[in-house]
Amino acid sequence: MKQSLLATAWRYTPLLLLVLIWEAGTRLGIISKWALPTFDSVAVAWFNLLESGDLIYNGAASLMRAAAGLGLAVVVGAVLGILMAWIKPVRIVFNPIVQVFYPIPKSALIPIMMLWLGFGHMSKIMLIFLGCMLPVTLSAFNGARGVDHVLIWSARSLGASWRAVLWEVITPGAMPEILAGVRTSIALSFVLLVSSELIVSREGLGYLIGWLGDGGVYNGMFAVVLTVAGLGFAADRLYLMLMRRLLVWRE
Amino acid sequence: MAEGNRLAAAIRVDGVSHVYRPPRGKPVLALDKISLEVREREFLALLGPSGCGKSTLLYLMGGFMPISQGSIYVGERAVTAPGPDRGVVFQHFALFPWKTVRQNVLYGLEKLGLPREEQRRRAQEYIDMVKLTGFEDSYPNQLSGGMKQRAAIARTLAVDPQILLMDEPFGALDAQTRSLMQEELLSIWQRTRKTVVFVTHDVQEAVYLAERIAVMTARPGRIKTIVDSRFQEKGPGLLKSPAFVEKVDYVWNLVRQEAIAAQGGKA
Amino acid sequence: MSEARALPGKAAEPRTDEGRAMSISGVAAQILIRSGSVIALLIGWELLARSGAFTTFLLPPLSLVLERVWDDVTSGALVVNLGLTLYRAAVGFAVAAVGGIILGVLIARIPFVHWLFDPIVSVGFPMPKIAFLPVFMLWFGLYDVSKISMVIFDSIFPVIAATVAGTQAVENQLVWSARSLGAKDRAVLWEIVMPAALPQILTGLQIALPIALIVTIVCEMLMGGEGLGGAMIQSSRFADSPGVFAGIFEIAIAGWAVIKGQEWVRRKLLVWHQETQSVATM
Repeated sequence: MKQSLLATAWRYTPLLLLVLIWEAGTRLGIISKWALPTFDSVAVAWFNLLESGDLIYNGAASLMRAAAGLGLAVVVGAVLGILMAWIKPVRIVFNPIVQVFYPIPKSALIPIMMLWLGFGHMSKIMLIFLGCMLPVTLSAFNGARGVDHVLIWSARSLGASWRAVLWEVITPGAMPEILAGVRTSIALSFVLLVSSELIVSREGLGYLIGWLGDGGVYNGMFAVVLTVAGLGFAADRLYLMLMRRLLVWRE
Repeated sequence: MAEGNRLAAAIRVDGVSHVYRPPRGKPVLALDKISLEVREREFLALLGPSGCGKSTLLYLMGGFMPISQGSIYVGERAVTAPGPDRGVVFQHFALFPWKTVRQNVLYGLEKLGLPREEQRRRAQEYIDMVKLTGFEDSYPNQLSGGMKQRAAIARTLAVDPQILLMDEPFGALDAQTRSLMQEELLSIWQRTRKTVVFVTHDVQEAVYLAERIAVMTARPGRIKTIVDSRFQEKGPGLLKSPAFVEKVDYVWNLVRQEAIAAQGGKA
Repeated sequence: MSEARALPGKAAEPRTDEGRAMSISGVAAQILIRSGSVIALLIGWELLARSGAFTTFLLPPLSLVLERVWDDVTSGALVVNLGLTLYRAAVGFAVAAVGGIILGVLIARIPFVHWLFDPIVSVGFPMPKIAFLPVFMLWFGLYDVSKISMVIFDSIFPVIAATVAGTQAVENQLVWSARSLGAKDRAVLWEIVMPAALPQILTGLQIALPIALIVTIVCEMLMGGEGLGGAMIQSSRFADSPGVFAGIFEIAIAGWAVIKGQEWVRRKLLVWHQETQSVATM
């Protein structure tokens, strides 16, 4: 256990080096402080933002939007995908919609959301919902399709109704793929969140970055940028741990 | 080390040991002080159960892995790296998939720096020799297993190596193709008389093709014994002869103990 | 040569039923069936929009949107915007492609470089890199350079990952065969490793190009000015709903064209890699 902790620390050491170079470079004036504030000033700004409540307030707004949009996307998308895989009429109706929307880059929907839903929460939630639904639907579809027919026949011959088969055999069988699709969606949700908040918003971390930048408070701006980046990374890693736990049976 | 036999040694393996270090887990002794002489122009089989290290020994001869203990000499020189004096044929063909058959065969010839015309002529000669005429411009993807292996053999023979190292070359082929390929290999060898080291786990194949068989123990691999496998005449008719059947039986009994040991049991 | 017998066991690529030889009418039937549902969708849109259930603002009729797209084409606006967006995306992608491949090869083959860049790539991948756009704007101004740098930053990651995976996955035996045929180190890298890794590297590039396109558009949306993204955000600020929809249409077509183009390039380059339709036996 101790060995793997040490190994992990060694693995991430280059990042530490990067921070050291950052600090040394700006301190020594090699890198202009105007372009890149010193690392410690960024750290200080971060704590100030935390204290003043700006970080918490905007962070909560952002995370709430992402969670809502993502949650809806996962639930609706997974259900749709599974149903599409096994119920022909559903597939016939929704397949063309999926095929048409797949090649459209989801960020292109930002202006439409702005048009329809304005500057507030709903436009972001809707954007994330629509944007993230597609990867989840596709994964659920592929996963559900891939469920071994033999498993389904066994369940049916043991007297399970179609509804039971859907939720007790097909859904668990499709889980690995769905979970992989959710991972993609998490990353996508962060991108859509930040993009839309940078472009059109009155609150949220993206908005905060823009506001600090416009105001010339660059150390604060950097602080929030790094926070957002860190949140995205952390979300992915946490999800990965969750996914491993859920898929223990697969190993 | 002359044992009443005037043939020189093409390959001399002297006290070679090899430790296999997996990325996770403990190091394992794969070969234990192997000493072996491969005589010039002979067809020698390395026979043993799975995991006995026969392929490893072949790779060491080929210079693909560094020799940490002991030495291997090819003629006067110690083996340190691969080279065109030791041609190699792998079980899964290892053809360059983005090159046609002709381009694959030309590869080694280009490295030899021969004039263009000569390269083309030689390539065609060997493609014809392995009976792939007409498929020069096909990609490996378009060929059956047997054809791929012929192409691989043509590629290796084209640079005219003194030694041919073959790692279970027919293992990936179906039984019928395998029999045909064995006959063809035999006829090519009888014509070109190269030194061949042939790794296999198939007893019958070893007795059929080889002049001598080095039977290896289960891991850690050692040479258990060397069996003479020469017959009056080697050809398809041999398979039914009583002498052949007897020899196969004899060798199988040698291998059987090791095979059981390799699976973790006792003979 | 014996008759058609597809090679079993090759990894399936998404959506390919085009592996079998098909008659002309078979192909036509396929296209009709596929586009039939899309056409139904488009008709549905038009009818829904005209039905009065939604205002023109909320859901402009397809005909109006197509009219707008046509206006853009004839006025030359589309050419300018599309051209600008594609130019930025292409430059960014090109730099990311070359840089990513070089970096990927170095990471795969030099342990020190691997150690140095591994956490950067691994942390960088799931990060919403678009968050760095204001930083790039600060450093490089408000014109093309900042947009292109953002594109490079975003697109280089999949290229690096794919290149590393591709070069590391080259089978030992291919390299050994080449060596025993007389190839030296440099030859092995260029003549064996790179071609063998090409399929995977191409996949990375195929992921990176759409990313380049969409990042360009998002940057344009934030910074305004010309380009597909800038035009769209302008439309939405003026509450010009048909304009916004037209913009999506144009982006979708551009995206579709890019993907189809990629597939064509892949087919040409990887002729040897494709499942062929007949296997010779002897």
